[in-house]
Amino acid sequence: MPKVYPLTERAPSRPQGGVSPSETGIPTTRAAKPNPAPWQEILPFLPPALNAIITNLPAEVLGKLEEIRLRQDRPLIIGLPGEDRMVAQNGALIKDCARAYLVTADDVQRVTQLVSGCSLYAFEEELKNGYITLPGGHRVGLAGKAVVEKGRVKTLKYISSLNIRISREINCIADPVLPYLLDPMSANIYHTLIFSPPRCGKTTLLRDLVRQISNGIPGLNFPGLTVGLVDERSELAGCYRGVPQRDVGMRTDVLDGCSKAEGMIMLLRAMAPQVIATDEIGSRDDVAALEEVFNAGVKVIVTVHGSSLRELAARPSLNYLLNLKVIERYVLLGRSQGIGTVEEIFDGKSLTPLMKNITSRSPGKE
Amino acid sequence: MLKLVGALVIILSCGLIGVMIARSYSLRPADLRNLQAALQMLETEINYAATPLAEALRSIAARADKRVTPLFASALAELRTTPGCTAREAWEKALKTFYPQTALLKSDLAILSNLGRALGISDRQDQTRHLRLAIDQIGAEIDRAQNEAARHVKLWNYLGFLGGLIIVLLLY
Repeated sequence: MPKVYPLTERAPSRPQGGVSPSETGIPTTRAAKPNPAPWQEILPFLPPALNAIITNLPAEVLGKLEEIRLRQDRPLIIGLPGEDRMVAQNGALIKDCARAYLVTADDVQRVTQLVSGCSLYAFEEELKNGYITLPGGHRVGLAGKAVVEKGRVKTLKYISSLNIRISREINCIADPVLPYLLDPMSANIYHTLIFSPPRCGKTTLLRDLVRQISNGIPGLNFPGLTVGLVDERSELAGCYRGVPQRDVGMRTDVLDGCSKAEGMIMLLRAMAPQVIATDEIGSRDDVAALEEVFNAGVKVIVTVHGSSLRELAARPSLNYLLNLKVIERYVLLGRSQGIGTVEEIFDGKSLTPLMKNITSRSPGKE
Repeated sequence: MLKLVGALVIILSCGLIGVMIARSYSLRPADLRNLQAALQMLETEINYAATPLAEALRSIAARADKRVTPLFASALAELRTTPGCTAREAWEKALKTFYPQTALLKSDLAILSNLGRALGISDRQDQTRHLRLAIDQIGAEIDRAQNEAARHVKLWNYLGFLGGLIIVLLLY
């Protein structure tokens, strides 16, 4: 059974160059300025009519609001954990679509303009990808008519559907996992692969892992490491004009909007990271780049879509990665106790489970 | 004696009116030219630098001729301060306060407000097209304004005084 850091006891002191807890004792919370609730951050991007409707939603709904979906000439729908609801003109949640507020063409156009700062032309790359990131890390997905040139999407026009996804950072979600991922011998972390079906909190977990590893964990006597984060889809750090809007830690360098394969190599060469983290690897290029990172002696944390190891092994590029036998920890997430439930943690070499379904801290259920 | 003073006042005031009308004819080509230059800057900002509109408006308000800066400055202020304001509304509002301060005609206003309708809502190529169109239209207006100016400036400069003179002669 591989060694793990105990949650309460202090970790064994390192042979040399040990870092005292005071050196790693950095504040875990951000500056004292009261941050607005996540849903408030998107209000400036809604035209007055929609703004009033959303503001009128019941407070407990606003607290767990995940999505606002605008589809031209169809009812206004908001996404809550596990369900979606239509919204009436007065902000009440309803089931009867006849009374729902119908999103007008003008609403859609205005939101499109507001999220782009009235400069849609400045968002060509974003339109190609189909979403725009707002300050605060919230994302607006766009759909409409794609303009295709030489077989590739050039831009979108006649945008008719918008999905405003409200992003939340859940700090300390990584606490139950962390002791299993820290390597007490080298004061480093293990090569870690987080996998789960979609919408189980991979990205949220990865973000918090990165934050804690980068800040250092005084409770576990773990000094902070320099982390390079490749954030291809601006989901992890939620960069706005290159500046991370999410707390990804003080020793984290974010490469925003860069392809993962290229980004990992760039960070490796340029920023001398001790850990490289990225989201949703899958392609051959990604795996090739990962191999390079392994060879450089840099630790990695990556996430992958998939519900079991067998499923991962069915994908050729990932199969190759698994066969390298480099990954030291596999973390499987699920939603059995709400989003972000840690179902299992495997050791990479022996594939023995180190831990199964901790239920004490499941952030999905507060 | 009093009659003479009255006659002088009439001649002077008619002359002044004439000069003012002449001035408006000579100002319009200048205004149009400044406006055209400013729009050309906007085109550059959008087409080559893909600068966000607010940023572009700010830099143009700083660089353009000061007779046209109010348009860009107030559009920017509107965009920044009014929540939920689109580029078109900001432009429209700015035009409303800008227009009376200039020597522009209704037809010039129409060109500008047409441009406002397209501002910021499409990709770079489309934005460039709309801006080019406005710039070309203003170019045509400049030619016309210059022709008119050449004909009218002299005419009104004299006509004012002469008209005053005629009134005085009739009343005398």
